[in-house]
Amino acid sequence: MNNDLFGFEINVWADAAARLGLIVGLMTVVVMGLIYGERKIIARFQQRLGPTRTGPAGLLQSVADALKLVAKEDVRPRSADPWVFELAPYFVFVPIFLMFVAIPFALRWEIRVLELGLFYVLAVSSVNIVGWVMAGWGSDNRYAMLGALRAAAQAISYELPLVMSLISVGIVADSFNLTEIVRSQGQVPNIVWQPLPFFLFFVAILAELNRTPFDIPVGESEVVGGPFVEYSGIRWSMFFLAEYAALFILALLGAAVFLGGWAWPLGEEWGLGWQLVLTALKAGALIFAVFWVRVTMPRLRIDQLMAFSWKVLLPISFVQVLANGLVLVYEPPQHIANILLAAVSGAGLLLVVWIMNHSVGKPRPRPVLSPRAATAPTATRSEAAR
Amino acid sequence: MTTVPFPHEHEFETQDLMINMGPQHPSTHGVFRMVLQVDGEVVRDVVPYIGYMHRGGEKLAETMDFRQGIGWMDRTEYLAQHNAELSYVMAVEALAELEVPERAQWIRMILCELNRLSSHFMFTGAFGTDAGIFGTAFVYSFREREVILDLFEEISGDRLMYAYFRPGGLAWDVPDNFARRVAEVLKSTRQGIKDMDGLLTENEIFRARTVDIGKISAADAIDWGCTGPVLRASGVPLDLRRTEPYLYYDQLDFDIITGTNGDVYDRFVVRVEEMRQSVRIIEQCMERLRPGPILPDRLPRMLRTPPGEVYLRTEAPRGEYGIYMVSRGGNRPHRLKIRSSCFANLQALRDMTIGSYVADAVVILGSLDIVLCEVDR
Amino acid sequence: MRGLLKSMGVTLAVFARKPVTREYPDTHRPLPERDRAFPLLLWDHDLDEPFCTGCHACERACPVECMTVLMKDNPNHRTQGGDSTRRKIVDKFWIDYARCMRCNICVEVCNFDAIAMNNTWQGHETSVYDRADLIQDLPQLLAEHKAGAIKPWVPQ
Repeated sequence: MNNDLFGFEINVWADAAARLGLIVGLMTVVVMGLIYGERKIIARFQQRLGPTRTGPAGLLQSVADALKLVAKEDVRPRSADPWVFELAPYFVFVPIFLMFVAIPFALRWEIRVLELGLFYVLAVSSVNIVGWVMAGWGSDNRYAMLGALRAAAQAISYELPLVMSLISVGIVADSFNLTEIVRSQGQVPNIVWQPLPFFLFFVAILAELNRTPFDIPVGESEVVGGPFVEYSGIRWSMFFLAEYAALFILALLGAAVFLGGWAWPLGEEWGLGWQLVLTALKAGALIFAVFWVRVTMPRLRIDQLMAFSWKVLLPISFVQVLANGLVLVYEPPQHIANILLAAVSGAGLLLVVWIMNHSVGKPRPRPVLSPRAATAPTATRSEAAR
Repeated sequence: MTTVPFPHEHEFETQDLMINMGPQHPSTHGVFRMVLQVDGEVVRDVVPYIGYMHRGGEKLAETMDFRQGIGWMDRTEYLAQHNAELSYVMAVEALAELEVPERAQWIRMILCELNRLSSHFMFTGAFGTDAGIFGTAFVYSFREREVILDLFEEISGDRLMYAYFRPGGLAWDVPDNFARRVAEVLKSTRQGIKDMDGLLTENEIFRARTVDIGKISAADAIDWGCTGPVLRASGVPLDLRRTEPYLYYDQLDFDIITGTNGDVYDRFVVRVEEMRQSVRIIEQCMERLRPGPILPDRLPRMLRTPPGEVYLRTEAPRGEYGIYMVSRGGNRPHRLKIRSSCFANLQALRDMTIGSYVADAVVILGSLDIVLCEVDR
Repeated sequence: MRGLLKSMGVTLAVFARKPVTREYPDTHRPLPERDRAFPLLLWDHDLDEPFCTGCHACERACPVECMTVLMKDNPNHRTQGGDSTRRKIVDKFWIDYARCMRCNICVEVCNFDAIAMNNTWQGHETSVYDRADLIQDLPQLLAEHKAGAIKPWVPQ
């Protein structure tokens, strides 16, 4: 039983091992690059320089950090639940890497083509919350506990809009196979006809990745790192690795599903090199947007976050799924279907924006008193104030 | 102990979680500790603990003569050092009946307002971090604060502990390029205020986090003894610069900023607008600054005051900063008491916080803009 | 949504600006003339002896009592066959930099302009492994000005 790996016929097990090795090797390098990139980009957003001292332009900073983390003592609180505490990082780490199996980088460049690839990615991606709750519970720390419960609530809430947004695209593409979804986009990527699902997807991945404005579970100023507060060394770095790996994978997924993957606008017949560059550019744009949002937005509160998901995003995403389903069933001509979908989707997006505008009220006029109007109150504790 | 009624209390017995926030916590602004009693995410009680930073500054200042004490005032209020020094030296001047030359007064006003700017920049930065921005507000603020501190260093020689005011005037004159440097600083400060304003004030998420959070009515604020922006955000136009003018504030044209709602958002906006007013004040002061002496003609080598007592208060960035000083004659105060604005403002924390969310507790504490050194002294 | 977009616009505008960071240990910002690091004693290059007469004025004025001064008869005084006008001169002088709060009072009270604040970067970068190393004695305090390494600023 032999498989085909880059044109070589090799044994199935050797093939599997080779692909696994590729994942782990590639991911580690990519994550280090992402961390370096994030630090540099965020530094520029804040008029700083970012890492400069390790290697040329600080390029080796991530390597140095990784070495430090690996060499650090792995501390476990005495009162922690040993099994739960020690196993939690794996429960976060492994599902993220499992997601990688179905993600296509370019035509025929994926670990495995799965017919239900989208479904598989979604199913696997939601497992890691178990690890978060384990970390929070096992640490025997109240901040960790609070953070873990917040993470669970948030992950459950935002899993649904994420699923709905991807399902609506799957309905349009008539397939859950990621390669098929990319191919079905043809001349115009899905973001044009389906802006609302793209918006939902972007918001949901921010929440899935626990990034501002949805970094409630790990909020530094509230729960001091949440479930990770007791972790150190190699175990903490596994959480970190998983976080950035998830960012990379979800950005690739978004690039494939919404931005036309490797095909648009050059078409599939272009060479592998161009395909990889296109995918990287699109995923990079998404990642840049995530960083940009991160430096700009304050953090939402947990009840606002839940309300936004359950009361706004979810109902509207149902409407989108319904519209896409109707189009699928009645099969109007292609251009009419597209315009119909774009209209529904655009209207939904506008509705979301309208709700966001009106849920917080108008900005108050700036309070200013005229120069001489303000005189001394008759007494510091005047009756007028009562 | 005040408790908030919880709908399921009778159906399902739950146990409240006690969370110990601080003294080592990123958002307690120093070594403040509060124990939150939370029901899920809802805060049902707060017990604040202060005193981790107590160094006996008041008592130490009693062992020092009037010049040595100035250095201690810097250390009680490490974000508005000039304002703290001003209260102290004005109290000494009131006791010793010293006449301060005009130029020294104008320079004092300019430095105090610049210090108000730097202190409010510190607030906006730290508050942005409390609200959850990843460092951006903090870095923007510190960029501007750095420019102001550079100017302070050129004038007084130190970046943080200036020890520049003296009973009777100033330690030494400002450098020759003072006017040009202040103009440069104000230019960058205006840009900084604009950046801060654009980054936060209209941001929907920021408004969702701050509007109607931590409300305190004018009457409650007065009862708790709140002063400064916390009081003005509740709608009470009490600003000592206007109501009890000291220095030459009565000659200048500036607005007192008051809020309407007394919530966290108002406290933020009041401070941002106050920064604009401070810029206005400094510009007017620069027009009126004339060459002249900076110390009285006859100043004794060792300043001694007649017996007496004085309470002198000024408007520091965080509110009323008062010095109560008793002298029994001699070169040092017999008793010194600092009326700390942060200490009074902090008392209102419990009232504001109960019933809100854990995340709100952080934002409310941030909006009070406490300096723990001033609270504990 | 408008506010969010405005915020994003602000951060993007800052993205285009130049970073303001100074890479500190590599590049030192020029210090202003008045910068106050730690107090130093000045050296009278004309007479080749310290300005300080050991009069204890600074020691008494110091709020944190970080100085210790001892005085002696000047062996270089005219009556002793030298060319100095100082009858007394500093014998021993210690400043504990760990206690000093850099308030500049010692400089103000000095009648002989014999003490000044170090206004160079070397004066700031004084980290040591042992606190005892921060107690400076007379030769250490005089060394920098003797070598002409600082240009002291003394307030008028």
